[in-house]
Amino acid sequence: MSRPVLRSSQESPRTARLDRDRGLVEAARRDPANFDALYRKYLPQVYSFAYYELHDHHAAEDATERVFMQALAALPRFEERADSFAAPSGSGSDKQASTFRVWLFRIARNVIANERRRERRRPVAPLDEAYNLPAGGDVVEAAALREAGSVAWQAVARLPEDRRRAVVLRFVDEMSTAEIAEILGRSEGAVRVLLHRALRSVAADLRGGMN
Amino acid sequence: MLGSSARDARRTEIYLDGLLAAEERGASDAPLDLDVDPAVVFAARRLRADLIRPHPSFRFEEGLAYRLGLAANPAASLRALDAPAGAPEHAALDLGVPRLGPLSSKSARPLIVGGVASAISIGAVYVAWRWSRGSGSATAHAENAGKTEPGHSSGRGRRVLGGIFGVMS
Repeated sequence: MSRPVLRSSQESPRTARLDRDRGLVEAARRDPANFDALYRKYLPQVYSFAYYELHDHHAAEDATERVFMQALAALPRFEERADSFAAPSGSGSDKQASTFRVWLFRIARNVIANERRRERRRPVAPLDEAYNLPAGGDVVEAAALREAGSVAWQAVARLPEDRRRAVVLRFVDEMSTAEIAEILGRSEGAVRVLLHRALRSVAADLRGGMN
Repeated sequence: MLGSSARDARRTEIYLDGLLAAEERGASDAPLDLDVDPAVVFAARRLRADLIRPHPSFRFEEGLAYRLGLAANPAASLRALDAPAGAPEHAALDLGVPRLGPLSSKSARPLIVGGVASAISIGAVYVAWRWSRGSGSATAHAENAGKTEPGHSSGRGRRVLGGIFGVMS
């Protein structure tokens, strides 16, 4: 999450969000070799987002690679904007907040959406199987996923797409409602409702499974 | 004026913020607003505990770092490939890229010579093995002689070996 700061412009003082990655982004702009720091910082988050969306280790790695390659190529065009984080939710601000993380996850969302479109044209393994298969990846990781998360994940996987994404971004990638709203292109209020309904559905699903 | 749905959603958000913050400071649970739907609390705790963040393999991480390094500075990577042996190294690609030695004609030659020598050695061993099997017993030798084309004999094997070692010496 980004740090709140007081804006020093001539506008009325209000809290805005300063991108905590600003220093790293500026360093990467000066010398693209410095992009490594951003890559290392966000690799687990981007990969896990892709993994929870695509349910396959290799597909998640492919998507992750495309995300970072696109981010590196587009970095000179990235503009940090804080306005809509400061705006009240539902205010209809047409400016989109863009911390580096939000920007990166917007790229991820698009890459994953493209990948899912391609998947729909191919035969796809059932979701339950995907969670139970080690898929040639790290055996320990696969075992951990199976044992600890499969029941919870199956409940999340049964959610509609928007709710599922919101849950993964909130619980796995630890994003704020404002960030999720920017990534999904929804208002903060809509994301709050998505999360609330998602949790009620998951609870019903988990309790149903217990009975 | 918020509707009841929006109000419940707002309470859920506050609870989730508290839950995540509590974990950051090592507390076992978030302060609970009694108005928060118990189903929401149950699901949130469960998801928080069970939804782990998978990490890609180390091999993938380093491989992608390498490819990003090449993409970040393609000119430097091309220069590194073209550099003559003994030239100072170019500006580092600070992306965990393993340094590859420059591929010059000098550095490539020992590899080729070594490869040719290995191939000749393997060939010599194979011919010697075939020759020794053929001469292992009188019966086997006769069988081999019967199967092989005219002129294929232990004498030919000796000539081949002699030729090979003659080349090598």
